[in-house]
Amino acid sequence: MNCKNHYLDIFNVTEDGLKEITAKALSRGGDFADLYFEYTTFFNLNLKDGVVSSGGFHTDYGVGIRVLKGEKTGYAYSENLDMREMLKAADAASAIAQAGGSSLPYRAGTACAPDLYPMQKHWRDTDASALLPFLLELEKKVTAQDSRIVKVIARLSDSVCDVLMYNSFGELTCDTRPMGSISVTAVFQHEGKSENKSVSRSFRMGAELISGAIADEIAADIAEGIDERFEAVRPKGGQMAVVMGAGPSGVLLHEAMGHAFEADFNRKGQSIFSDKMGQQICPKGVNVVDDGTLEFNRGACRYDDEGVAGQKTYMVADGVLNSYLHDRISAAWYGVAPTGNGRRENFRYNPIPRMRATYMESGNADPASIIADVKQGIYVKELSNGQVKIGEGDFTFFVKSGFMIEDGRLTAPIKDINIIGNGPEALANILAVGNDLKIDNGTWTCGKDQSVAVSCGMPTILVKSLTVGGE
Amino acid sequence: MIETHEIEIARHCIAFACANGADNARVNLNKSGIDGCNMLNGELDKVTHAADRSVYLYLFVNGKYGTFSTNMLEKESLEDFILKAIDMVKMLGEDTCRKLPDPSRTEKNANTGRELDLYDEAIEHTDSDSRLAKAKAMSIWQNSHKENNGEYSLISEECEYSESYDDSITIDSQGFEGRHTESSFSFFTEVTIQDKEGNRYSGYWWDTLFRNSDADPSECSRKALERAVAQIAPQPRRSGHTRMVVDSTVASRLVAPVLNALNGSALQQKMSFLDGTLGQKVFSESMNLMDLPRTAGRNGSRMYDSEGVATKDAPVIKDGVVCQYFINTYNAEKMGIEPTVEDASRPCLMPYMKGKELATEEISVSLKDILQYCRNGILVTGFNGGNTNPVTGDFSFGIEGFAFSKGKITHPVREMLITGNLKDLWNSLIAAGTDARPSSRWQIPSIAFENVSFSA
Repeated sequence: MNCKNHYLDIFNVTEDGLKEITAKALSRGGDFADLYFEYTTFFNLNLKDGVVSSGGFHTDYGVGIRVLKGEKTGYAYSENLDMREMLKAADAASAIAQAGGSSLPYRAGTACAPDLYPMQKHWRDTDASALLPFLLELEKKVTAQDSRIVKVIARLSDSVCDVLMYNSFGELTCDTRPMGSISVTAVFQHEGKSENKSVSRSFRMGAELISGAIADEIAADIAEGIDERFEAVRPKGGQMAVVMGAGPSGVLLHEAMGHAFEADFNRKGQSIFSDKMGQQICPKGVNVVDDGTLEFNRGACRYDDEGVAGQKTYMVADGVLNSYLHDRISAAWYGVAPTGNGRRENFRYNPIPRMRATYMESGNADPASIIADVKQGIYVKELSNGQVKIGEGDFTFFVKSGFMIEDGRLTAPIKDINIIGNGPEALANILAVGNDLKIDNGTWTCGKDQSVAVSCGMPTILVKSLTVGGE
Repeated sequence: MIETHEIEIARHCIAFACANGADNARVNLNKSGIDGCNMLNGELDKVTHAADRSVYLYLFVNGKYGTFSTNMLEKESLEDFILKAIDMVKMLGEDTCRKLPDPSRTEKNANTGRELDLYDEAIEHTDSDSRLAKAKAMSIWQNSHKENNGEYSLISEECEYSESYDDSITIDSQGFEGRHTESSFSFFTEVTIQDKEGNRYSGYWWDTLFRNSDADPSECSRKALERAVAQIAPQPRRSGHTRMVVDSTVASRLVAPVLNALNGSALQQKMSFLDGTLGQKVFSESMNLMDLPRTAGRNGSRMYDSEGVATKDAPVIKDGVVCQYFINTYNAEKMGIEPTVEDASRPCLMPYMKGKELATEEISVSLKDILQYCRNGILVTGFNGGNTNPVTGDFSFGIEGFAFSKGKITHPVREMLITGNLKDLWNSLIAAGTDARPSSRWQIPSIAFENVSFSA
């Protein structure tokens, strides 16, 4: 099979070599071993003050070796793919065999999954001279949007990651994962006041991402709503109804439930949802998905980092907790099939359950009627970082912009406030789900011990009450 | 650790780059390693072994600039890498502000990496058995069920013990060579408990020391458990304005956005709420922040920054006046001002108590003292999310902690938010202790502020 040989060549290993390393990893009595070879190239160009004045590329190359003894993990890696160095790492990982317990993780099989991110123009065949004009054009388009813009910082980055995975079941899986990202920050000044706004787009796709259309889209987004930013006030803080706008509000799902549904937290009894499988946790009709199968999406996973094919997983189906997000370890522990969520930042880390693209499916409500039903509250338009405490279920996210809602109408613009709530309570208090699901294609990155690319999405929803920061 | 032939590789990178079109170059070669043991509920759960190496290359070619890195250090692949890198830099836009620092500003005495006494050779003599023994000693899982009188149950306990080293050399084409070497011995525990009503609470504790003999992880899990248990039965609280005390374990969260705003990159791009404030009194006279990077044997100390520029002990904010921006060579050229070091290494907030004279060097102000001084308010022991607008300084953070009355903690609080502006906040500073954790890189003690807006 040419595909397999291509990847074996990249890492200068043979199938016999893979077997030898795996045998070494199991030599002290481990139950299971897997190898994760990775070759990643990163490239970036940065525009400041009208000049693409810095850029560079970076390469990362190595193998991670994992040994399992029951649910226990031994992990080591080598940046040198000389056989002696890899065998040394395998020996270090094999030390976990002294731990007690014994069981085999789930056998995933070797069925070929469809390529979710084929590249029309390979990033590695596209040099800086072909990409530099795009950033200059993008800056022009952004600057032309608003005379109050005084600074523009733009960045174009891409990466291509070749992976080869092999395990002691004899499963060999290969994948090439592209990622292209564009981000722009503009600083506006008006009558002695300053505001800034950032917009980004990120997709698992090749250099065909670079187009006039995406530059137009980003430029339009930069200017949108900036008048409100200058006028924005902070609301009076306290508990109130919150309407989450479609798109980036998906970070609410990511924090309020997604992390708490990751099976490692539940297997260890740490999650507030540990004992709620099969229970009604949201109103009927609510479906929450973690999806690795969205073509070209930043969170797409043709295979996860354990070689399990990407899947669409209903965490909540019709309001009932339906599935946790599993890697091979937790799947074996729960006696279910893995969901393709075993992910890692790179070969230096062992895989753990992680989200992919997390979103709520559309409901039936008209977004305008959702707002009209709120007497007093806030409407959340743009968000940034979020966080959750797994045990308590308390989550937060930061609102970059939005509006007050008074008597069913959007009134004063608001900005720069944090919102805090409790996951199970917030889910139970979803009063309406709009018919306008939107996936947000920004550069979302999840930081649970390791950084991995994710995305999120949401239709407009109404939560009965959350605590809103304010003066 | 970096070996002699690897130093030669770094020197060769400089020479090869300059012989093939680079006007100037800087290289950073880094090697690091970590060995760790994790325990879950009293049993070994994970062992890790890691060894990293990397070369970062900074190239200045025809007034253009690029940065590159690789972990493939073989000579042939490095030379090919450098040639491709030079080709790429030539494609970029010209920016004559990109320069190496003036050689007169670079450190001259960081020769061995050991000058600041941050490396303990004991790390070379530890083994997996000793690490496992320390990790096992951290666990209190076996005994915890006997001690809680049925008030709570311990659901999970995760302990991690690790030993690591980090060794780096930086060389540039103007003659700078510097080396920095550190070891660290770290431990961390996180516990989750459940009270009688079925509510879960988590607590954690950690420490990082560079000397093996100082690393005593035996109390780590107990402290984590105490922090979890203390949160049982939080009580609701109304929104309003009150005094806020921030525990030293998390107080640096309120200093970080101030230091970010003093950084040249933010200032040059008009992304700083402290733009134009150099030499001006912006904060309360009670705010005194020093950068003390030259103290031997203290985490965070370093002799030079990433450009090789020598660090020095200096005030950052003195009596509320902004004394220093952190301006690297590039931003200094862009802004037309004198360069400094590129960022703070070991910021230290000086003690203060409004209305009280803290004259002696030996003064000791604990969290308990500050609570007594403040009498009533909210003690923040953890932040949960939130952010700061870098342009305006407006912030909003989730918090958890305790209400206190008459200087004593009364009950836990959670799901609360604080909101305000950083200039206003630091102008309302009423106390700063002397209880910064010795092992922290940032020496920020417990601090107290007047009239902070809480939402609940």
